Amino acid sequence: MSKRGIKGALKALCAPLLLMLSGCSKSGLFLLEPKGLISQVTYHYFNLDVGIMLLIIIPTALLAIWAMWRYRKGGGGDYRPEWSHSYLIEAIVWGIPLITVGVLSYLSIKAIYQVNPYNPGAISSKGTAAGKPLDVDVIATDWRWLFIYPKQKIASVDRLVIPAGVPVRFRLTSTSVVNDFIIPQLVGMIDVMPGMRTKQALVADKTGQYVGYSADYSGAGLSWMNFETKAVTKAQFAAWVKKTQAAPQTMTYADFNRFAKPYLAVHHHRMVFGRVQSGLLDYVVREVMSGKVWRTPMAMTENMVRYMKKQQANVKAGEY
Amino acid sequence: MFVHLQGPWNPVWGRLSLQAIPYQNPILVGTFLFAMIAALAIVGAVFYFRAGPYLWREWFTTVDHKKIGVMYCLLGLVMLFRGFIDALMIRSQQAMAVGPHSPGYLGALHGYLTPFHIGQVYTAHGLIMVVFAATPLLVGIMNIVVPLQIGARDMAYPYLNALGFWLTAAAAALVMLSLFVGNFAHGGWYGFLPYFELPYSPGVGVDYWMWAFQLSAIGTTMGSINLIATIVKMRAPGMTWMRMPIFTWASLSTNLIALTSFPVLMVSLALLGLDRYFGTHFYTAGQGGNLMLYNDLFWVWGHPEVYFLILPAFGMMSEIIPTFSEKTLFGYATMVVASFAIGGVSWGVWLHHFFTMAAEPSVNSFYSVTTMLVGIPTGVKVFNWIFTMYRGRVRFELPMLWALLALFLLLVGGMTGMMNAFAASDYMWHNGVFVVAHFHMMVLLIASSIFGAVEYWFPKVFGFKLEQRWGKWFFWFMVLGTAWVFVPMFILGFAGMTRRLDYVPVTQWAPYLRVMLVGMAFYVVALGFFVAHLYVSLRDRMKNRVGADPWGTTRNLEWMTHSPVPAYNFAFIPRVHARDEWAWRKEHGMANLGNESFEDIHMPRNTGVPVLLGALSFALCFALVWRIWWLAAACLGLVVLVIILRSFARKTDEVIPATTVAGVERAAQDALASPARG
Amino acid sequence: MSASTNTRMQPGSTVLWEKGDAAGHDALGTRTFGFWLYMLTDAMVYAALFAAFGVLAHNAGLTSKSMLASVFDAQAAYRDTIVLFASVLAYGYAMVALKKGSRTGVAIGIIVATILGVIFLNMVTGDLEHLFSQGVVPQLNGFLSIVFTLVIYHALHIVVGVLWMLVMLMQMGRDGFTSNVVYRLINLRIFWHFQAVIWVFLFVFVYLQGKVI
Repeated sequence: MSKRGIKGALKALCAPLLLMLSGCSKSGLFLLEPKGLISQVTYHYFNLDVGIMLLIIIPTALLAIWAMWRYRKGGGGDYRPEWSHSYLIEAIVWGIPLITVGVLSYLSIKAIYQVNPYNPGAISSKGTAAGKPLDVDVIATDWRWLFIYPKQKIASVDRLVIPAGVPVRFRLTSTSVVNDFIIPQLVGMIDVMPGMRTKQALVADKTGQYVGYSADYSGAGLSWMNFETKAVTKAQFAAWVKKTQAAPQTMTYADFNRFAKPYLAVHHHRMVFGRVQSGLLDYVVREVMSGKVWRTPMAMTENMVRYMKKQQANVKAGEY
Repeated sequence: MFVHLQGPWNPVWGRLSLQAIPYQNPILVGTFLFAMIAALAIVGAVFYFRAGPYLWREWFTTVDHKKIGVMYCLLGLVMLFRGFIDALMIRSQQAMAVGPHSPGYLGALHGYLTPFHIGQVYTAHGLIMVVFAATPLLVGIMNIVVPLQIGARDMAYPYLNALGFWLTAAAAALVMLSLFVGNFAHGGWYGFLPYFELPYSPGVGVDYWMWAFQLSAIGTTMGSINLIATIVKMRAPGMTWMRMPIFTWASLSTNLIALTSFPVLMVSLALLGLDRYFGTHFYTAGQGGNLMLYNDLFWVWGHPEVYFLILPAFGMMSEIIPTFSEKTLFGYATMVVASFAIGGVSWGVWLHHFFTMAAEPSVNSFYSVTTMLVGIPTGVKVFNWIFTMYRGRVRFELPMLWALLALFLLLVGGMTGMMNAFAASDYMWHNGVFVVAHFHMMVLLIASSIFGAVEYWFPKVFGFKLEQRWGKWFFWFMVLGTAWVFVPMFILGFAGMTRRLDYVPVTQWAPYLRVMLVGMAFYVVALGFFVAHLYVSLRDRMKNRVGADPWGTTRNLEWMTHSPVPAYNFAFIPRVHARDEWAWRKEHGMANLGNESFEDIHMPRNTGVPVLLGALSFALCFALVWRIWWLAAACLGLVVLVIILRSFARKTDEVIPATTVAGVERAAQDALASPARG
Repeated sequence: MSASTNTRMQPGSTVLWEKGDAAGHDALGTRTFGFWLYMLTDAMVYAALFAAFGVLAHNAGLTSKSMLASVFDAQAAYRDTIVLFASVLAYGYAMVALKKGSRTGVAIGIIVATILGVIFLNMVTGDLEHLFSQGVVPQLNGFLSIVFTLVIYHALHIVVGVLWMLVMLMQMGRDGFTSNVVYRLINLRIFWHFQAVIWVFLFVFVYLQGKVI
């Protein structure tokens, strides 16, 4: 074993405690460092929820430890083997969970309306002060994300660029199987389903780069089905739109039919499309509903060794 | 035949060809060699000791509820081992495959498993742990304990009992076979639609998954019919409803759940089968199908199933804690009400398995609240156990340690469960490892209760106690492993890590994943201690022989008869006078066993038909997986024929003569009287 | 528990053990109770199927009703209904004869019920064949998938019932009214009546719905 290995093993051994401490540095702990309006609201309610639950759970745990220690055999606690009923205790025993669940239910319902993906109370309560929203259509294929900006008529693969401080409204669908859209620091999960259209909305507080990925199992390419989210200033966004519109590649319905063929995005070709045929998302929903299927070939579902070797060769060639 | 299949098919072999054997995969070849060596060793031992006829006569063909229960438990333990190996593979793959620069082996890009391979491991781990490890262990223990607790000589339908077991065993065998012939579903144990449709899962994996699941569902449903009928119809005279032991109550409520929910699972799987075999459109995205229909049907079974697993575990805790607190259970009536409340609420919460499907906020609110409601009866149970220890004399013997571990795991699992029920928070980690960590707390709670129950009832079934020293090492290393694996997993949950990843793209998560691997090492050590625990116990079995009541402070009927329990359970059916009948008799000085003039006892006769039906349904499912239609038709015809022929059998029971009974009873009394020697 | 200690009993006067073969309990009641439980699982299967029917009909929207009306012949289904009900009635008479202990009565009732069951099956398969030949197949869309599944699943139950009745005729001829035969006859009655009940639902939802609304 190498020196580094021993060190690593030692580190791993003094584990859970160390981890709790390192949790404070928050590196990679996305849910604990929310950077968007929706995720912050969620985080607020999460803290409330955990706080209330701990108020119950910790005393209960202490009570359990006390009872088993105080009344251990030979511990000298009084012994009343027939004692098995007390109306007062039963009332407390039912009462505490009842009240807790009542309070939490109230909070839960409130929170659900606050972060409702179709019309989040947290954004709509701000009214026009939130700013003019940006529309983005999201299509999940096997296994890439296509982000279409219908007003700007541009599209981008596996990279989402949004202006900070502006509400972004998503419409989402999938070509083949169910995926789940999430940008942990900005917004929670929403299912992306074939033949159906779902919605989501978010506001990024500050500029920055965030990870987004698919959360629901969608096949071999799932692990690589992530995208980077760039929150930029409004001016930068306008510049990006302009630059992208100048890109030569186009995305017509026919192009899309080719694009949607199964592809393991190990290399993340972050392409952009300068012109997108309008109504692409609705077209995909319609096609899938009427029975269009982008079949996964056996090589991508059965015994993938040979297929992955091909991928590996490409990676070695520097295509990562 | 009816649908477009990728790959070849011919009328004789169906889809089966030499290519189905994964001989290029070193992991599977190694597994195959291990399995072959183990199988050879077992078969060799059977021949060497000429145990074949004995095994066939006394075990395979048995209809004795205790022996069937023991076989259920053995099946569960074997599958638990398989599921654990799967867990090891998942954890090591994820620890290795972090970040774009992690190396890859055996054809994988990162780590050593291709997405195809680890997908199968995920499915197998989940399905095996839930359906082929936890369920058989719980059903096995219920099988052994419930008839004894209610003073019955056997189950209501002994033949059906054996059939249920052999169908479950056939299903487990099917899962194991998928390792070496073809492959297993790659995705997750509960199935994803439309991902499990033919265009996206063209191989036989999903078919293996589906038929094994279906077969085990039929087996479990048979078991639940049997247990309910036994509890309702076979109780000893005097045992009114409110005198029933609490574990029997838990079994009743849990089997009511199984009885009503498993048929829905069968439907959800059968409709998928129609899609895959006949090209119908139940769950397709297009042509009028509805993929959410699958989720609804599946989880209408799936969530009650969770409580199907946990209620017997609660029942076991409710038996163990009073015994080792030397006291009656606190709040018996409340416990019964709570059990049924959990069972009832379980039917109204399934939608929380797809909170993120963009339902109306009002819908999500409803299911958020109903899910939290489960917390009330569960909380009541926790408090009742604590107040059972209160004013008792708590002895920390092994069963009690396991029960207490289960109690603390329930606190963690319950707390995180409430966090999941909080829908708005759930959006952040719905398909994340936080949920995984949560339900592993619950499943480990079930596992702890099972280990506790095995320690607790083992002497009753086999007549000797398990030793305690190695058992305690086993216990503590399980605790360590649990902490080391699941604390980091909860943290990764807050990191936003999602489930079923083959490759982990975020490099910062690497340390947590490595710590989890250390936890797995603790589990491996624990497994070693478990083996030592069993070995030492078996070696010293004569020294550890016990009488009817090995723990001294037990309370229910099962402790009244001899250990090991004779084939007929009770020489005379006891009349019940009190809730804790055995405690009542001891208290009133009536603990002696009745040994006056014995009578003939009618018992069901052993039969090989359930084994045959199990084998035939195994062949039937295998034929269906590979679409070998002629074989499937032949097997189906034979199944029907065997069932009909069996119904013509006249002699299905036999008589144990009074003299034999007297002999057995005397021998048991003598064994007790003579001091145990090593 | 305190509830028990209230009624203190003297050891000498307390009956601790049941003599006699108490394991026998109420054999017939136990057997039929289990069968009721089985029927409950079958009812749950149908419930799930009808739930799927509701969902997929909703998916298909208004077209589902016109589809039903144009595809399924309610009058033919009415004919099926009469035949199936007559079969159940015949089985009912067999059970009356069972109470009287008349072996010929039971046999006649069951034979009539079997023949009517076979006629029903014949008619249903005829209907299905006709539809298939017209190109109306379950593979067309989700709604037709569930409709055909419901009809065929019910027909499979009728097949099982007919087989069971034939077996009972043989066992009755061989053994007479032994407890095995009697409880199986009772269970078969439950099974057979239940199929008629399910048919009512099928008739209303599948065959009539398109016509009425």
